[in-house]
Amino acid sequence: MATDRTAKVTWSGSLMDGGGTIEGVGSGAFGPLDVSWSSRAEEPDGKTSPEELIAAAWASCFSMALSAGLARAGTPPERLETAVTVTFQPGEGIVKGAITVVGTVAGVDHAGFAEQAETAKANCPVSKALTGIPEVTLDATLST
Amino acid sequence: MPRIVRDANVAWEGNLARGHGALTAASSGAFIGLAYSLPSRVGDPEGKTSPEELLAAAHGGCFAMSLAGELTGAGTPPERLDVHCRITMDEVEGRGHLIVGSALEVRANVPGLGEEAFAAALDAADRGCSFSALLRDAGVEIDVTTTLES
Repeated sequence: MATDRTAKVTWSGSLMDGGGTIEGVGSGAFGPLDVSWSSRAEEPDGKTSPEELIAAAWASCFSMALSAGLARAGTPPERLETAVTVTFQPGEGIVKGAITVVGTVAGVDHAGFAEQAETAKANCPVSKALTGIPEVTLDATLST
Repeated sequence: MPRIVRDANVAWEGNLARGHGALTAASSGAFIGLAYSLPSRVGDPEGKTSPEELLAAAHGGCFAMSLAGELTGAGTPPERLDVHCRITMDEVEGRGHLIVGSALEVRANVPGLGEEAFAAALDAADRGCSFSALLRDAGVEIDVTTTLES
């Protein structure tokens, strides 16, 4: 079954001097959130941006896929801490994604965890929508 | 221009079916600890966001800024743009779950802009929005519908 999710954004004025608002999302989980070109391209100054939202989408999707893979292997995670960094080069686009995950998982060794993380990186729906990013790195470690 | 770097963090606890996560906009702090789960991702959202909803917000924001940039460059900055974005995820035979579509509905109030110039700005905005390009690369169908009110 298909799943639809929605967001509404408004913008007023020129790119440099104007500003926008992510008015809200279908779930009601967040918004309104202000956005602007300067906070996207320079210091965020408390404002989110398309790249930060992509990082959040990716981190959340990857974490779910990894928990699914670990559970299928009989070793569901106690906790996964995932950070995703998205790098945007104006004029060029999104040039890099970096996924870092630290897992607390009983019964799996480092190699097994790293293998599951690679599978999640390759197969989560957000990863598959971002295959055009030229460089995607993964750093997967188990917490000690 | 220098590279722009943005971070997000997620903490996930438990297995897929019964576990839950919390996600944070780490660069800006614009949202902190938003809850999400599998049932709310694929079923009734129950007030919780999801990866697909975040992509909808990202694509809507990227497209709105790109269009504002094109209109500004053409000498007709918008008074107001309303962009609604709907992201669809579906199961595709043999390929698992994929993002299959992004539908953008754009309502623009731009003083002094004709239909032809609007069409040109939309076309350039779609090409200029880096996220549109990535989604297309991955085979995601992007559908843009527009209304010009000026």
